[in-house]
Amino acid sequence: MSIFRLAVAAVALFCAEFAQAQTMFRGDPAHSGNSAGQAPRQFHRVKWKFPTGDRLVSSPVLQDKQLYFGGDDGNIYAVEAETGRQIWKRPTGGPVPSTPAVANGMVYAASYDGKFYALNAQTGAVKWKFATGGERRFEAKGIHGLEPKNQTIADQFDVFLSSPVIAQSAVYFGSGDGHLYALDANSGELKWKFKTGNVIHASPAYADGVLYVGSWDSYFYAVDAATGKEKWRFHGGEDPLIHNQVGFQSSAAVADGVVYVGCRDSNLYALEAATGKEKWRFNNEMSWVISSPAVAEGKIFFATSDSSLYHVVDAATGKSVLKQLDKAYMFSSPTVAGDVVLIGVLNGSLVARDRNSGDLLWEFQTEASKQNKGWVLTADRKFNGPMLYYSSWREAPTVSTDRQFSIGAIFSTPLVANGVVYFGSTDGNLYAIE
Amino acid sequence: MRLFALIFFASALLCRGAESAAGRWEGPAQIPGRELKLVLDLSEEAGKGWIGSIIIPGLAVKGAPLIDRKASGPDLVFEIKGALGNEKAGPAEIQAHLTADNRLKGNFKQGGNTAPFVLEKTGPPQVELPPRNTAVSKELEGEWKGEYELMGYARHVTMKFTNRGPEGAGLEFIIVGKKTNNVPVSLVTQEGDFVTIKSDEFGMTYEGRFRKEAGEINGSLTQGPFEVPLLMRRKP
Repeated sequence: MSIFRLAVAAVALFCAEFAQAQTMFRGDPAHSGNSAGQAPRQFHRVKWKFPTGDRLVSSPVLQDKQLYFGGDDGNIYAVEAETGRQIWKRPTGGPVPSTPAVANGMVYAASYDGKFYALNAQTGAVKWKFATGGERRFEAKGIHGLEPKNQTIADQFDVFLSSPVIAQSAVYFGSGDGHLYALDANSGELKWKFKTGNVIHASPAYADGVLYVGSWDSYFYAVDAATGKEKWRFHGGEDPLIHNQVGFQSSAAVADGVVYVGCRDSNLYALEAATGKEKWRFNNEMSWVISSPAVAEGKIFFATSDSSLYHVVDAATGKSVLKQLDKAYMFSSPTVAGDVVLIGVLNGSLVARDRNSGDLLWEFQTEASKQNKGWVLTADRKFNGPMLYYSSWREAPTVSTDRQFSIGAIFSTPLVANGVVYFGSTDGNLYAIE
Repeated sequence: MRLFALIFFASALLCRGAESAAGRWEGPAQIPGRELKLVLDLSEEAGKGWIGSIIIPGLAVKGAPLIDRKASGPDLVFEIKGALGNEKAGPAEIQAHLTADNRLKGNFKQGGNTAPFVLEKTGPPQVELPPRNTAVSKELEGEWKGEYELMGYARHVTMKFTNRGPEGAGLEFIIVGKKTNNVPVSLVTQEGDFVTIKSDEFGMTYEGRFRKEAGEINGSLTQGPFEVPLLMRRKP
């Protein structure tokens, strides 16, 4: 009898661990943004923090009690979820602001060296590498109105690389060379590539044999996952004047035949998955929607950049259910974890809200945010404009943005497992808090 | 006796110098992780109280006016006008106390943050006076209309110039887009046929050439990253 109980307990434990696995960006191929675990309703302590050599923009994924994430220090990491102990690291030739995907004992991630890596999940050994046409950030002359207007300037807010999605024995990802790639997940052999007009740094979502991804060319695409043929495209906003209100940086979520995606043209769109026809749009009055929406129980959860708003809207109609003002821009994507929604804020805070009311449950502030070096933040933890963007000359905006991100900004999307919240920060730490 | 008088006079001057906040003051404000150099120029004008300006190298602040908010004996409070302000926390401030050993000790306040400083006097004041409104020509007085398009929709602009004697010209500046904005005007100048209008609060500048014969002001409106042509004509 006791052996039977032990066996049942072991199976239950295995199932619990299995259920907590979140093996790719936004948790699943359709990018629902739901976490299997319940997030804590109160903050108790930092369980551990894992320091890396540079800022951390990538989000962690979890399988078999191991966390995997990329670092802007050029490494892909495997870390023990319970202790924060490093299991392995694998250097690449450039920053890795891409969230890895894990399947069949392999870890996949993109690096700014223009290569896509497949590693052994247990050892970090390279199984194969695939060279894309090379990485680059979105760029334009006089972008955001910066001087000199006739000089091409890279967009300092193009911080992420495309995160891979795995389905049908293939791994799919976008690239700065403008292509959506499909590789054989086992061999790395190119199955097909689909050309768009500009950088793809969003992560493709997968549902029912179709990939959904936006490009900085202002179009959002549905592509047949088996053949790489375009099924439809949807035209977002354009901004030929200063290239500020253009491009899909947000990754889509797909649920019940509808695709939800944010855009830099300040809209959150709901499109019919079968046709690309617009069902509704939620306009955010010139505020970017970089954040990737989460879908749960007929509601869409997302956040804005400039207006710093956390929104919940009705999935069927696009009507506002609730909104809450946060203190700074949000590029992080909300994670629905039980009755709690978590999101990172660029002022160095992780915010936990009640899923139904939107009320603030707790906030965690990184040490760098508390130190507030150079008064990047005002006393009430909003961005302190005059101390950040006091020059628009040449590289100054990049320097200013680096300054802005120096206070432990949280771009990373939180992952919840077994009551612990894992996320990265630009202070270089992967945090585990509970 | 003459020697005594000379010594007495010199001492009096020295004492007066030691007690006066007038001068150029330099030193660092200690903000977390960074020293911020401050250069203050302060001068006391008969009947006008204190006037001043500030330079903060590295923050693109050069000659921003210091507005006397509460100067009383050795205690001075100045608002920094047109730079480093914050919507919620208000304008940046210098709060200083002139010490017996002739230093300015105090706090630099910005965005709700506070940093201490100690400044040394390095010379006589070089106060940079803010530009003032000029009068405008008779032909420019009255109402002008124009429109421009930004982000896909039209904005209608009305400018109404009036001369106000020694205060220079005044301007009503209204932009109607999705809503009506009464633009707070910080500066209006006319130099020859070149007209400049600034709104510090809106971060907006209009510069145009007044063409009397054509009955128009041909210029451009700049706000943050946006620069659009704006032709103003007499109200039809």
